[in-house]
Amino acid sequence: MKLHLSIITPSQVIYQGEVDEVIIPTEEGIIGVLPEHTPLLSKLVPGELEIKTKGQSQHLAVTGGFIEVSNNQLTILADYAIHAQDINITKAEEAKKRAEKLMSEKVGDIDYAEIEKEFVRAIAELKVARHYKPK
Amino acid sequence: MASLMQLKRKIRTAGSISKATKAMQMIAASKLRHAQESALNARPYADHLTDVISRSMPKLENGFYHPYLKANDSNKRLLLVISPDKGLAGGLIANLIREMLKQTKTHSIVFVNIGKKIEKPIIRTKSELLASFLLGNSIPTFDIVEPVISIIDEQYLAGNVGAVDILYTKFSTVFTQTPVIKQILPFNQSLEKDRITDTIELVEPSIESLIPGLLRHFVQIVIYQSILESFASEQAARMAAMQSATDNANEMVTDFTLLYNKIRQEKITNEILDISSGAFQTQ
Repeated sequence: MKLHLSIITPSQVIYQGEVDEVIIPTEEGIIGVLPEHTPLLSKLVPGELEIKTKGQSQHLAVTGGFIEVSNNQLTILADYAIHAQDINITKAEEAKKRAEKLMSEKVGDIDYAEIEKEFVRAIAELKVARHYKPK
Repeated sequence: MASLMQLKRKIRTAGSISKATKAMQMIAASKLRHAQESALNARPYADHLTDVISRSMPKLENGFYHPYLKANDSNKRLLLVISPDKGLAGGLIANLIREMLKQTKTHSIVFVNIGKKIEKPIIRTKSELLASFLLGNSIPTFDIVEPVISIIDEQYLAGNVGAVDILYTKFSTVFTQTPVIKQILPFNQSLEKDRITDTIELVEPSIESLIPGLLRHFVQIVIYQSILESFASEQAARMAAMQSATDNANEMVTDFTLLYNKIRQEKITNEILDISSGAFQTQ
């Protein structure tokens, strides 16, 4: 029995396929979802997502969103998701620095939310890339 | 009969028109590829999000209240209309206006619009126009959604309007785009029966804390998706319109050239006749 996984972001479908296990960062802590999981709805928080198939692991960086399990189908609606091997470390570091600098200055509400989003994304990307990006 | 000079001028005009429309067609075609991709890629996300919310609705306890879920008493509706900024897009804008006018006949409406082309027609209906945004010439980014939502929130949460609809042009194929009206608020997406097979059992941390975030996200995504669809439709419509304009201009060039040659030949024949008859008489 396999679990059907789809990871969807507003700009594209990142992953679709049969998997053995998925490790997900949620608001309540890191959870592992196996096939035949109880129908579940939860909130995705920024961090690393691990997909296990046939003894192999894939890692992704994700930011916020929602996850849903029903009918042995796991749907991850993420604001942003990227495969570890696709992360550009230099770019992420730059984004982090830029966001840090902007956050230390005083800006309006909307701007601040945008910058914070970018900051969170850069941190998640860096964390995953440092651990798992093939050198 | 038109003189040779006049014909020559007409040929040149039609030729340069065909060049201009051809250029516009090519620009629209290159924009269309990206626009179509982003519109189609955003669809699964919007669909799934709607599904998730609909499936979690039965979990809510009866006493749960969220303004997005319940209509208020106002019988006014807010209509968000999305149109292109520029014309030359075939029947797309005319269709949009027709649909908009149909709505003003049946409901009392206040408007918010994105896209310059629909602004004047709205003002002409004498309805209230709360705000007008530009759509832009490249694929709209997500930032465009926030100011629109804050206006919607302001009106809807204060009870000035009882419902919020969106009118946009759905991108079906490169050749067909249709204006579509969709209700955003209050949330009333009903699931088809066969899809409610599995209600959610476990919700972490709690349904009451998740639903507000989900609903707000839903409104954002529906608006953004509609904007992307409208943008793709605009490019497709413009490409088709400019293609037929180019074809027509080229056809005119062919017709005029034919006529021009015919008249020229006739003139030469007449001149030869003149000369030869003159020569004949002097003999």
